[in-house]
Amino acid sequence: MTAREAEVFDLGYQRYTGPREGRNRARWSLFVNGLRTLLGIGRGGKAKILPVLLFVAAMTPAVVFVVILAFIGDLAAAADEGDFIPGPADYYGIVSVVLVLFGAIMAPELLGPDRRDNVLPLYLVRPMTTLDYLAIRLLAFAVIALVLVYSGQAVLMAGLALTASEPLEYLRENWTDIPKILLMGGLISLFISMVTLAVSAYVVRRAVAAAVIIGAYLLIAGVVDGLTFAENCIDEQAGFGEQAFHEDVECDYITGDFAPFIALLSPSGVTDNINALVFDLPPQSPSLLAVTELPDAAPFAAYLAWVLGPAALLWHRYRRIRL
Amino acid sequence: MPPLLEAHSLTKHYGSTVALDGVSFEVNEGVTGLLGPNGAGKSTAMKLFLGLIQPTAGSALILGQEPYRSPDGRSRIGYMPENECLPRDMTATEFLMLMAQVSGLPPSQARTRTADVLRHVGLDEERYRPMHEYSTGMKQRVKLAQAIVHDPVLVLLDEPTAGLDPDGRQEMLRLIDRTARSFGISVMLSTHLMGDVERIADSVLVLESGVLSQVGAVAHLTEETQTLLIEVEEEIEGFTAILAERGIEAKVNGALVVVENAKDDDYDVIRDAAVASGARLRRLAPARRTLTDIFRGERP
Repeated sequence: MTAREAEVFDLGYQRYTGPREGRNRARWSLFVNGLRTLLGIGRGGKAKILPVLLFVAAMTPAVVFVVILAFIGDLAAAADEGDFIPGPADYYGIVSVVLVLFGAIMAPELLGPDRRDNVLPLYLVRPMTTLDYLAIRLLAFAVIALVLVYSGQAVLMAGLALTASEPLEYLRENWTDIPKILLMGGLISLFISMVTLAVSAYVVRRAVAAAVIIGAYLLIAGVVDGLTFAENCIDEQAGFGEQAFHEDVECDYITGDFAPFIALLSPSGVTDNINALVFDLPPQSPSLLAVTELPDAAPFAAYLAWVLGPAALLWHRYRRIRL
Repeated sequence: MPPLLEAHSLTKHYGSTVALDGVSFEVNEGVTGLLGPNGAGKSTAMKLFLGLIQPTAGSALILGQEPYRSPDGRSRIGYMPENECLPRDMTATEFLMLMAQVSGLPPSQARTRTADVLRHVGLDEERYRPMHEYSTGMKQRVKLAQAIVHDPVLVLLDEPTAGLDPDGRQEMLRLIDRTARSFGISVMLSTHLMGDVERIADSVLVLESGVLSQVGAVAHLTEETQTLLIEVEEEIEGFTAILAERGIEAKVNGALVVVENAKDDDYDVIRDAAVASGARLRRLAPARRTLTDIFRGERP
């Protein structure tokens, strides 16, 4: 038996007759592209180093807290004695700084290359608007940020439950923390996403954008802390997680009656103030204490301003880009 | 079916600068050249049809829809920009897959279309290389590929041969011609290179200072003129003298003898004059108008 000679037929160009899923497919594919970009999927090993490091950095506080819990042993007894028991609010206080670092390094990667390589017009001549593009890039970033913070909270929650003498009883008693954890995680992720993307919209180079974000964060937070300093009421003996001022002393802020309003300008305080309200935490710094002199709505109003302001800047920048 | 493109009194101002001033035209199937010098309004017209900018007045319709207001309508058009637009670190396959999906194709179909289109533009072997390693010609082909990966009915090409060497230019023009004739995708080609348009376009629009100065079929605009071009060897002076004796005024232009406003009978007179003068007649043909002539203001 002889094998037949193979033949290759070129069918030529074939018209596409399959489904066209329009704008929703466009949005979804850009969203997936954003996730892949942030996680370094489809790139070399080097592109994955930063996301892995940041994930480790976000998980570390949770793991450290769990280790502390394991050493504490009887949580109920420790709580009765007034010892520090790390909880979800403390985790958010630390991880929000890690998220700023994450945003500073990764947000420019999401917007910069599309502008630097002039890919943006190619998206916008397809079934996608500028608003779609920005909203989807923001969503991709916020989702990764959420995964980071919720993963840490899940580890911490598991640690708290497992180190309690009655894990199920602990969960029954503390289930109300879950909506608070979800709410605060969402607020922190949205805030970091919006601010870091807004800066990235104006600075194309990744290193410069990262430096601007971290520099501005530290500088503004430092200036606000300086302007809201009140030496007379600081309790220098207070430990981590404890009330850090003397309740019986009225704080004498450097900027007097303006201090509460100045404190609202701090990027580090914007989520810490809400975190303290949501989890009913004592203020741990004079600037956080100063905000407690304002109505409870004030930190939320400041938060809105911190989110909507960068959103407006982001929109303004992209409306003015010459395509 | 509505025309592919329609401009109705299309006007675009940038501050006090008028980029387009009440332009009206239609573009149908085939290859249409959009000609004009720099600053004529070609890029502005393209951006209006792509929905990247809004008109100041009038309307720009693509497949009967306003692209700025109906993003879904843009899923059937393609665009190849003049400038660099390729992500440096992506491979051609990754990039085309993404562009196909952003155009609305599901992932499995996007994958098939990507492989097919890269094969058609001759980048089958290079499809997994990062695009920053590509030559200018290869980049131009990827740019064309991303514009047609979703099988649009119309593709708008902005200076597609810019920056290419003569061979690369010929190859790109062949590819564009194939896109229109074999793939069945209509093409609008914006360029200032009249040779490109003359070679592949069916019709042409000429913009000058934001106003439409010429519009029509390339075959009509470049039809024969009443000028005869005569190429003779030896005895040129005797040849032209005999022509003059027989009532034909001829001008010598280098090796060419040019007779303007020639009539049908003049062909026989010229042949006889060549015989009588002993000049060897090499060529006798009517001159064709070129787009360059039209561009210089020599109206048909």
